[in-house]
Amino acid sequence: MTCRDRSNEFLSAVKLLQSRQGNGVAPIRQRKDLRAKSEFNVIAKRIGKDLANTFAKLEKLTLLAKRKSLFDDKPVEIQELTYIIKQDINGLNKQIAQLQELSRAQRAQNGKHVQTHSNSVVVALQSKLASMSNEFKQVLEVRTENLKHQKERREQFSQAGASTNMPPTTMAGQTKSVLFEEENRQNGGDYAINMDGMDKTQYQNQLTLVDEQDSYIQNRADTMQNIESTIVELGSIFTQLAHMVQEQEEMVGRIDANVEDTQLNIEAAHSEILKYFQSVTSNRWLMIKIFGVLIVFFIIFVVFMA
Amino acid sequence: MELPPFTRKVNPEVPRLGVSTCHFVKMAATLREKQAAALRRMLNFNAPITKASSNEPQWKILVYDRFGQDIISPLLTVKELRDLGVTLHLNLHSDRDTIPDVPVIYFVMPTDDNVQRICRDFENQLYESYYLNFISAISRQKLEDIASASIQYSCVAQVSKIYDQYLNFISLEDDLFTLRHQDRDAISYYALNRGDVKDTEMEAIMDMIVDSLFSVFVTLGVVPIIRSARGNAAEMVAEKLDKKLRENVRDARNSLFTADSAPGQFSFQRPLLVLLDRNLDLATMLHHTWTYQALAHDVLDLKLNRVEIEESTNVQSPAGSPRPMKKKKSYDLNTNDKFWHIQKGSPFPTVAEAVQEELDAYRTQEDKVKSLKAAMGIEGEDDSAISMLSDNTAKLTSAVNSLPELLEKKRLIDMHTNIATALLEQVKTRKLDIYFECEEKLMSKSVQDKSLMELIADPEAGTPNDKVRLFTIALICGPHMSEAEIDQYCVALTEAGCDISPVQYVRRWKAYAKMTAAPSQYGGGGISSTGMFANLVSKGSQFVMEGVKNLVVKRHNLPATRIVDALMELKSYQDVEDYRYFDPKLLRADSSSVPRNKSPFQEAFVFVVGGGNYIEYQNLVDYAKSKSLTSPKKIWYGCSDLVNASLFLKQLGHLGKEI
Repeated sequence: MTCRDRSNEFLSAVKLLQSRQGNGVAPIRQRKDLRAKSEFNVIAKRIGKDLANTFAKLEKLTLLAKRKSLFDDKPVEIQELTYIIKQDINGLNKQIAQLQELSRAQRAQNGKHVQTHSNSVVVALQSKLASMSNEFKQVLEVRTENLKHQKERREQFSQAGASTNMPPTTMAGQTKSVLFEEENRQNGGDYAINMDGMDKTQYQNQLTLVDEQDSYIQNRADTMQNIESTIVELGSIFTQLAHMVQEQEEMVGRIDANVEDTQLNIEAAHSEILKYFQSVTSNRWLMIKIFGVLIVFFIIFVVFMA
Repeated sequence: MELPPFTRKVNPEVPRLGVSTCHFVKMAATLREKQAAALRRMLNFNAPITKASSNEPQWKILVYDRFGQDIISPLLTVKELRDLGVTLHLNLHSDRDTIPDVPVIYFVMPTDDNVQRICRDFENQLYESYYLNFISAISRQKLEDIASASIQYSCVAQVSKIYDQYLNFISLEDDLFTLRHQDRDAISYYALNRGDVKDTEMEAIMDMIVDSLFSVFVTLGVVPIIRSARGNAAEMVAEKLDKKLRENVRDARNSLFTADSAPGQFSFQRPLLVLLDRNLDLATMLHHTWTYQALAHDVLDLKLNRVEIEESTNVQSPAGSPRPMKKKKSYDLNTNDKFWHIQKGSPFPTVAEAVQEELDAYRTQEDKVKSLKAAMGIEGEDDSAISMLSDNTAKLTSAVNSLPELLEKKRLIDMHTNIATALLEQVKTRKLDIYFECEEKLMSKSVQDKSLMELIADPEAGTPNDKVRLFTIALICGPHMSEAEIDQYCVALTEAGCDISPVQYVRRWKAYAKMTAAPSQYGGGGISSTGMFANLVSKGSQFVMEGVKNLVVKRHNLPATRIVDALMELKSYQDVEDYRYFDPKLLRADSSSVPRNKSPFQEAFVFVVGGGNYIEYQNLVDYAKSKSLTSPKKIWYGCSDLVNASLFLKQLGHLGKEI
C-alpha cells in the first residue's frame, strides 16, 4: 500500500482530547443518532442491490450458455433463468423510471447539488442497466449460436434419411426470423429415417423416435422463438434507456473543463467593471451634476424645515 | 570506510545468478498507472477493488482543492469518475450544499486553509460520513486540530478514515511527471534564482520539491540512488531527499518501502535519480522546436495534456454580412489516442503525412460501410433472396459494431487535423522553421548561411519573442561575441520591439557560471534540409507546406541527456566526475562517498529543478530508444513545472530587470 492510514492516530488524538476536556464543554450540537435517510437514497440503494443480484444471475447464465456439450445441455434451466432475468430487467427498468420521476418531483425542494447528485445517480443506474442488457443480449446470441452448432453436430451423428416436416404450428408463427429461414434451408432432407430393411418393431421404435425428435425439435423451435422475442424486447428497452441517457448526458469531459472559461469570463467582467469605474471616477460632469442635485435637495430641505 | 557487516545482507547491488534478465518484470507498471490505481482505490473508500464492489454501485461525492484537481484531471475523465460512483465533484473552497446521506471523499493538501474549511464542513454537517485523504502527509498538529473540531461538532463517528496518499505529483505521460501546474510560480525558475530570495523561502521551496519526489518514490515503492551536481539548488534537494528517504527506510515500524510493498518486483538493481539544475542548460528552454508534442506546447500552450485552439467560423449575423466568429475548442491529447502516442515525438512533416494517411484509411473504411448499406437496401426488397439475408446480417452486424470505432477514429483524425493546421499556420506566419534551422546550426557550431542580424532585422519573420530567443541562444552557445557586438544586436532587437532584459540576465549568468564546458556540450548535432516539400504537395494533401522546409534533424544529445548517459553507463566524463553520490539505504550518511555501484544502470529518473520542457523529454526518450538494442533502458523525466519558451522568457525578463 502506498498510502498510510492515520485513522488510528486520529482516534487516539480524539481520546486524548476528550480526556483532557473532562466534564467541561458540552458539545455544541446534539446530533440525532438516527438520520432519516431520504427516500431517494433508500430506493436507489435497493435498486443497486437488485442490480448486483441480477448481475450474479447473468453470470450464471453466461456459464451455462457457454457449455457446448451435446448431451449435458440444460434447456429447462437456461429457459427459466432467461425468463427470470428478463423479468428482472423489466422490473429494474420500471423502478429506475419511478426513481427518475421521484427526483423530478423533488426538484423544487432540493438544493442544486442534491439535484445534480440525484440526476447522476439515476443516469449511472440507467447506464449500468443498459450494459447489463447488452451483456444479456450477447449471452442470448451465444446461446443461439450454440444451439445451431449443436444441431449441426447432431446431424453429423444421426443417420441421413427421409425428412420430417417442421411442425406446422411453428410455421404459423409470424416471426419471420432469420433463424427459421436457416432452419428451413438446412432441414431440407434432414432427419430422415432409414426405412430400408427395418422390422415393424423397429419401425415402431423409429416412429416413437420420430415423435421424440419432433417434440425435441419443437422444443428447440420454441426456445429460439423465445430468444428472438427476448432480443427484440431488449432492443426496445435499450433504445429507451439510450434515450434517457442521452437526455441527461454530461457535456463536460474533464473536471477542469469549465474552470478556465469561468476564469476568463471573470477576468473579462472584472476588466469591464474597472473600465466603468474609471469612466465614472474621471467623469467630472457626472460629479458636478450629482453635487448640483445634492445641493438643490439640501436647500429645499433647509427651506422647508426652517 | 567499509560497510558495517550487517548491511551487506541488504546490499541489493549484487546480482543473483541467472535472474539478471528479469529487471523490468514489475517495474514496467508505469508511474501513471500506479497513480491512477491509487486514485481508484482511494475512490473505493481505500479498500481494494473487487468484482463484488464494482457490481453494486456506491455513491460518493469527491471534493478536491487546486492541487487535487491538477492531479486528477489528466488521469480520470468524468465518465470514469461516474463509473466509480462519484456523482458530484466539487472544489473545496466553493459553496457547497448539504447532501445529508452521502459519504464524501476529500482529496486535498494538508494546508491550514484546507483544514479550516474541512472543520467548517463538520460544523455545517454537510455530509453523512467523511473520508479524508491528504495528498501529502498531514502533520500531527493539524490532525489534532481536526480531532478537536470533530469533538466540538460531535461528528467523531462520522470521520471514517484519514489517509496520507503520497500522491503529490502530476503524471502526464507514462514517463513524464511534473510537480505543479496551478501553483507553479511558487517553485519556478524565477522563484529559485531571484536576487532577493530569502533563506526561509528557499527552504520552503526545497521542502515542497523534496516532498513531491518522496511521493513519487513511495508510489513506485523503490529507493533510488541519487546523484547530483555540486553547488546548486539540485544539491540541496538531493541532500534533503536523501535524509528523508533514509529516515523512512530506517523506521522499521512505519516504513513505506517494505520488501513486500511491491509484490513480484524482481529488479535487483535500483534505479538512478539524477537531479539537475536548470542553470545547466538554458538554451534548451528557449529553443524553437520541430516535433509534434513540443510544438503543441510551445505554440498552442499544451497544459495538462489539453490544447485550446481558436477556430474562426463565418456566422451569418442578422444584419446580413457574415461575421467571423471565434470559437475556442479544447482537445485532450492523452496516451489512449494511438495516433498521438506514436506521433508525438515525430517531426512535424511526418505528422502531416501520417494524418493524411489516416484520413485516407478512414475514407476507404467509410466507403465500405456505405456500399454495404446500399447492398442491404437493394436486398431488403427482394423476398426471394431472403436466404442471403443472414449472410448480410452478419456483415451488417460487424459493420454496425465497428461504427462506434469508426466514429471515434473520425473524431481523432479531425482533432489532429485541426491541431496540425493551427500549428502550420503559426509556423508559416512566424517562419519558425527558419528559426529552428538557425538555432540548430548555432547549437551544433556549424556554419550559418543566414546571418543573425538579417533574421533579427527582418520584420516578417517571427514575433519579438522569437528574435530574443534566437539571440539568447546565439549568446549562450554561439561563437564568442564581443561586448560591442552584443550591444549592436541589442540595439537592433530594441528596434524590432523586443524586450532585452532576458539578454542582460543571460550575460550575467554566462559570466558567473563556469562555462568552460559550454562549447562542447551542444556539439555533435547537425541538420540537413531536404529542400521544398515536393512529394507532400503532389499527394494532394491539405497540408500545403510549400515554403516550409522539410528539415530532418540529426539526432544529437542535449547536455542533460549527455550527463544522464555518462552517469548510467558509468563513463568517466569530465563533468560528472565530482557529482555527489547518495544512497539512502546505507546506514550512515556518507558525505564523501564514492560510487560503489559497478554495473551500469538500467533505469533512471531525471529530475530538473527549476523547470523543464518537452524538448528535453523528447531527447531523453529518443536516447532511450536508440539504446534499446544494445542495452535496454527506461528513463523517466520529471521537472518542477513544464514551462514553454515564452513563459521562461518572461521569467528571464523579470530576473534581468532586477539586475
